[in-house]
Amino acid sequence: MTILHNLSLSVVAGESVAILGKSGSGKSTLLGLLAGLDTPSDGELTLFGQPLSRLDEDGRAALRAGRVGFVFQNFQLLPTLSALENVLLPLELSPRAGENQHASQWLERVGLGERTDHLPKQLSGGEQQRVAIARAFVTDPELVFADEPTGNLDPDTGAQIIDLLFTLNREAGTTLILVTHDHALARRCGRCLRLVNGQLEPFQPAAISNGGGDE
Amino acid sequence: MSDHNWRLAARSLKRDIRAADVRALFVALVLAVAASTMIAFFLDRLERGLERQAGQMLGGDLVLEQRQPFDEELRTRLEQVGFVLSDQVDLVSMISRGERFQPASLKAVDDVYPHYGVSHVDRGNGTEEIASGPPPGEAWADPRLAQLIEIELGDRVQVGQTELTISGIIEREADQSGGFGNFNPRLMLNTADLEATGLVQPGARVDFELLAAGPPAALEQVQGLLAGLRRDGVDVRDVRVDRPQLGNALQRAESYLGLAGLAAVLLAGVAVAMSTRRYVERHLDTAALLRCFGASQYQLVVIFSLQLLGLALLASVVGALLGLIGQAVLLWLLVSFLPMTLPPPGIMPLWLGIFTALAVLVGFAGPTLLRIKQVSALKVLRRELDPLPPSAWLVVGVASIVFGGLLWLYSGSFPLALALLIGGAALLGLLWTISSLLLNGLLIVVQRMTGGGEWSQALRLGGKQLARRKQAGLGQLLAFSVTFFAMAMIVLVRGDLLTTWQDQLPEDAPNYFAINIQPSERDAFERVIAPRVDTQSTLYPMVRGRITAINNQAPGDVVPPDARGDGSLRRELNLTWQAELPEGNQIVAGQWFTTLSEPQGWMGAVEATPRAVDESVPISVEDGLAERLGLGVGDELTFSVGSDTITTHIESLRSLNWDSFNPNFFVIFPPGILESFGHSYITAFHLPDSEQGLIRQLVSDFPGVSLLNVDAILGQVRDVLTQVTRAVELVLALVLLAGISVLYAALTASRPVRAHESGLLRVFGAGNRMISRVQWAEYALLGFTSGLMGAALAELATAGLYLYWLDLTPRLHIGLWVILPLGGALLIGAIGHALSYSLRRQAPAASLGLIGEA
Repeated sequence: MTILHNLSLSVVAGESVAILGKSGSGKSTLLGLLAGLDTPSDGELTLFGQPLSRLDEDGRAALRAGRVGFVFQNFQLLPTLSALENVLLPLELSPRAGENQHASQWLERVGLGERTDHLPKQLSGGEQQRVAIARAFVTDPELVFADEPTGNLDPDTGAQIIDLLFTLNREAGTTLILVTHDHALARRCGRCLRLVNGQLEPFQPAAISNGGGDE
Repeated sequence: MSDHNWRLAARSLKRDIRAADVRALFVALVLAVAASTMIAFFLDRLERGLERQAGQMLGGDLVLEQRQPFDEELRTRLEQVGFVLSDQVDLVSMISRGERFQPASLKAVDDVYPHYGVSHVDRGNGTEEIASGPPPGEAWADPRLAQLIEIELGDRVQVGQTELTISGIIEREADQSGGFGNFNPRLMLNTADLEATGLVQPGARVDFELLAAGPPAALEQVQGLLAGLRRDGVDVRDVRVDRPQLGNALQRAESYLGLAGLAAVLLAGVAVAMSTRRYVERHLDTAALLRCFGASQYQLVVIFSLQLLGLALLASVVGALLGLIGQAVLLWLLVSFLPMTLPPPGIMPLWLGIFTALAVLVGFAGPTLLRIKQVSALKVLRRELDPLPPSAWLVVGVASIVFGGLLWLYSGSFPLALALLIGGAALLGLLWTISSLLLNGLLIVVQRMTGGGEWSQALRLGGKQLARRKQAGLGQLLAFSVTFFAMAMIVLVRGDLLTTWQDQLPEDAPNYFAINIQPSERDAFERVIAPRVDTQSTLYPMVRGRITAINNQAPGDVVPPDARGDGSLRRELNLTWQAELPEGNQIVAGQWFTTLSEPQGWMGAVEATPRAVDESVPISVEDGLAERLGLGVGDELTFSVGSDTITTHIESLRSLNWDSFNPNFFVIFPPGILESFGHSYITAFHLPDSEQGLIRQLVSDFPGVSLLNVDAILGQVRDVLTQVTRAVELVLALVLLAGISVLYAALTASRPVRAHESGLLRVFGAGNRMISRVQWAEYALLGFTSGLMGAALAELATAGLYLYWLDLTPRLHIGLWVILPLGGALLIGAIGHALSYSLRRQAPAASLGLIGEA
């Protein structure tokens, strides 16, 4: 089954791009392809100047290491790890000096300096997503992928998370690729695209949205 | 790179200790190591201790015996490899004091005597423990001799051409290997006095013994030399081969402990396999995330392997410590009967323990763990993208190979390990099929159950839940069946072992032997003892005879080279005659003598005509002797009895229990042959404590009859049994613990799925009571079926074990078929129910994962 076809997209460093689409339109598939988590049956993807088709699974993983951050709709925190340990996880794959301190600083920046030792289940949804955001930025990545970062949160909390995400993104000068169906969120990106019938088209999100609409 | 993999693994391990599956994994590994090290430590020390004790009873680690003195060359060779030598001379001679004469069994010992242990001697100051023999010029007599010729300490007795002073009454010799081959009372003297007695003359019946004490390595070095000596007709007793019969009990207990250790390892392995499954499932998310963050497949494998390796090493250390403590407890339970100080624990069992942990981990967790490698980074976006679980065949296959290897390592026998493994695999396949059918059948029955009662509804729902997860259910069923099987087997074997031991030595087992009862005294003797003893064995007639030819050839030319110096060929045998097969004997080949009622039989002929000397007589031979001498049914044996020669042929082979404390005979003749030869009678009886006065009366009424009190030996064997029983029970507890760890691991592994299900039921409006009953029912069904399977397996396996390993007669255990299914239902039901208590307390939203991803 072809989900995406005849699709072309290039994102330059420092840009922030929102990809909108209905449920099942292939947003997550596209994100998986862009991040090199998945491979296309046809076509070519280039990440950091490297054609992904020439890399095997391990090669693509190595390319991501330390350079790509992720924020997920369902947070993807490990339940047996404390907030700090969750943030430390990507650092431990490419260790550097003072990583504990570095991770604590990131937790402070997302406003969780006091809750470093809490387990995910002891944190609220918003707090969990903050931990996830700290984890995404802790390696000082060049590129952050966000998959429906507010999808599991109530509108107020979602708004706070959006603020945090964009503030950190701006400060770090990171490239951001965001997949969402939330127009308010999309509108804050430099460029908006909509995925329809497997193809991307430029799109101007509605000026007013409560964040719950589909499209 | 590898450095931070280590660090990451260590950190994740530290964090993971909180998780239930890791705890279950840890407990299972600790149990495997504790069981194997405890038993290995213990058996190792016991083995070495027993060898020492055997050496003490034999009088040395190596004992050579022949009819002439040993030459210098042999002595030099033995000393060169590290043996310390001691000479001993045995002969029977008349000794006298005044008018009293008495044949005595003389034992001349040198200054090195004894190599091991001490003698218990009364030298006038009560019984002392003395680690030497009598000095030159003196002799020690046993109490019976003292009584027979009325001697007291300080008296002088005539021995051959010299006189010796009796300086001690010897209660127990340091090297006393029991046996009743020699019924003459003991006189122990110094070899220095031997020449003066003039008893050692060419042609005299004198046994020269060379007793050597040395390390096992020395024994190993002279094996070639010993084989040569055996061929030359020297009686060679090697401590490792000719271990005195302290009772088969200890040997069986050793087998049992080894078996129990393996059962514990197998159970722990099953627990490891189950917890690993859960562990891997839980870490698929972690693995996917790590892939996302850039970890390679190799890195994932390394990280998780290191983590489990760390866990295994930690478990090894804890397990080994527990094992050390456990073996100390085992020894403490047993130590009062071990008349020896055991060597300290060696280092070998420790390595064995660590190796066991690693092997169990690799075998039972390996294939499952590799699944982590297959995880796709895309799983972070699409949760359902779990890698396929490894095929059951792969998991079971690898586990079987590793367990087979452990079997080999522990049993030391490759064919046995292979046979057990193939048998086990076949059984497992069968089990899988039958379990599947059984589960289906049970579910059909449950579904057909009508009635609106809450319990039957619960059973229906529980059955459905089980049916929905048939593959997982089958896995658990298999694990529980194996668990119940192992537990049941250890309990069954223990029970049968104890019963067998008790049957073997009942309360009224004979504690006295009466020997040398003359035919004229026979009836009177019986009349005196019959009313006063509890039990009495048959009065067996006894005739001394020597094997002079086998199949008309000299015995030394026919028997296997190793048996040329066998005591049965060098000494006279005690022959008896019986019309009926003695109690406790079993025919293992050929048949017992044809009955008297057959007139054309040879016995009819005997009645009619005097026995013709050249007529071949049927005999029955003990199977152990037959095996040593390479004899079978139909072989011809020629005996010299008195001045006559009797030609016989073996008509049957008998097995008998040498530990039975009843008179036993290597060779039994039919009635009608030996009556005309000089014979005496032997019997054994149990004399109650209240009738001890009888002994004095017997000694005065029948002065010629020798009475041997075996209360001390009997007590010692009873002590062994009681204490080995306790040791066995300790190990049993360990196996049961391992079984419970399996249940814990399995139930931990299935918690998330069950949480989800009970959450759903709750959403649909089921009350706590209902959910609780459904869970009860599901676990109970599982337990019932596993119990049934376990019972079948245990019955089959114990039968096999009894026949081939423990040497017991198999029997059906009916209780097993009732207790195991019902107990299984109850146990699994209760444990499962208790473990899911917290789940039932959870709000459905939490169990359904609606709140966060916890």
